[in-house]
Amino acid sequence: MSDHGLDPVIHVPARLRIVVTLAALREGEDLSFTRLQDLIGLTPGNLITHLRKLEDAGYVMTDRTGNGNAARTSVALTRDGRAALESYTTALRQLLDSAGSR
Amino acid sequence: MNAGADMKDDAGMDEAAGLNDPADVNKAADLNEAAGMDVQQAAAIMRQARERAQRQLAVRRPVLFLTWGLVVLIGYLALWLSVRGQHPFHGPTPPAVVTLIVLFVAAAVITAWVVDRASSGVGGPSVLQRGIFVLALAAGGFALDIFIHAASQASTDRALVVQLSAAAPLLIVGLVFVASCAANGILDWPRLAVGLWLLAVAAEGAWAGVVTYLAVCALAGGGGILMMAAVEPWLRRS
Repeated sequence: MSDHGLDPVIHVPARLRIVVTLAALREGEDLSFTRLQDLIGLTPGNLITHLRKLEDAGYVMTDRTGNGNAARTSVALTRDGRAALESYTTALRQLLDSAGSR
Repeated sequence: MNAGADMKDDAGMDEAAGLNDPADVNKAADLNEAAGMDVQQAAAIMRQARERAQRQLAVRRPVLFLTWGLVVLIGYLALWLSVRGQHPFHGPTPPAVVTLIVLFVAAAVITAWVVDRASSGVGGPSVLQRGIFVLALAAGGFALDIFIHAASQASTDRALVVQLSAAAPLLIVGLVFVASCAANGILDWPRLAVGLWLLAVAAEGAWAGVVTYLAVCALAGGGGILMMAAVEPWLRRS
């Protein structure tokens, strides 16, 4: 955790957008790499870099199926990822509340 | 970028990003990015990302309700206009039937576009659920087509055949809507409401007699779906 109690893996603009976007899917659903890229607006290289960070933390899982032109890479939020986002949202709300009450 | 170029291999990716020591460079970049993001900005990013994802990934149901509401309204009205005042009753005229078919095909194309736009790239159980839903409607439509032909051959009562043919699409769609409204594990109130309404219109309207029945289907059936197009966004928000 960072000094303000927010998960440093998620508390980066690009990764926050990725996790929130994937959380909009129902549990068990995944999103293709290209569609995720469209929604997030990152270059493929940047997106892969951030996905790898999230994957290392166990927050997302990627799956590549098919070969050549038929290849498809799908990205899904794991249960840990969903739980981490919930914790992050709770911590963020508390920080906002405490900032508002000052 | 096509699916084949979905994800470059790691070496290619790092090369593309110009990273000689990706771990260090990424960590430094993360710290810079995170240091520049306060909690208000984080909340704003979350809200924007959530709204964008919901907007882009959700099927625009008001558009579908509007489309199919117009099909039912205009299609059944065309049938009603073509049989109004017929003595003896011999059924809808070919132009009215062609109007209905053209409207149906146009609505099917719009539906496919709207659904594809939202579900493109999404994988998982919803793909199968959507497939079964479409299969149920298509099977109902196919069975209906056979039924109408068989009934036309078997019965000399043209009014009865027309009335059954007019009722059947509303009954099929109504039943499929009601049966599938809980398929996502969340009770789908708009779909349930439209399904029950169509069943009620198809059943209760039948007392009016075949000519008036077509007008009832148009105004009550089509009108009900159009009303749902107007209130569905409000229902979803509340």
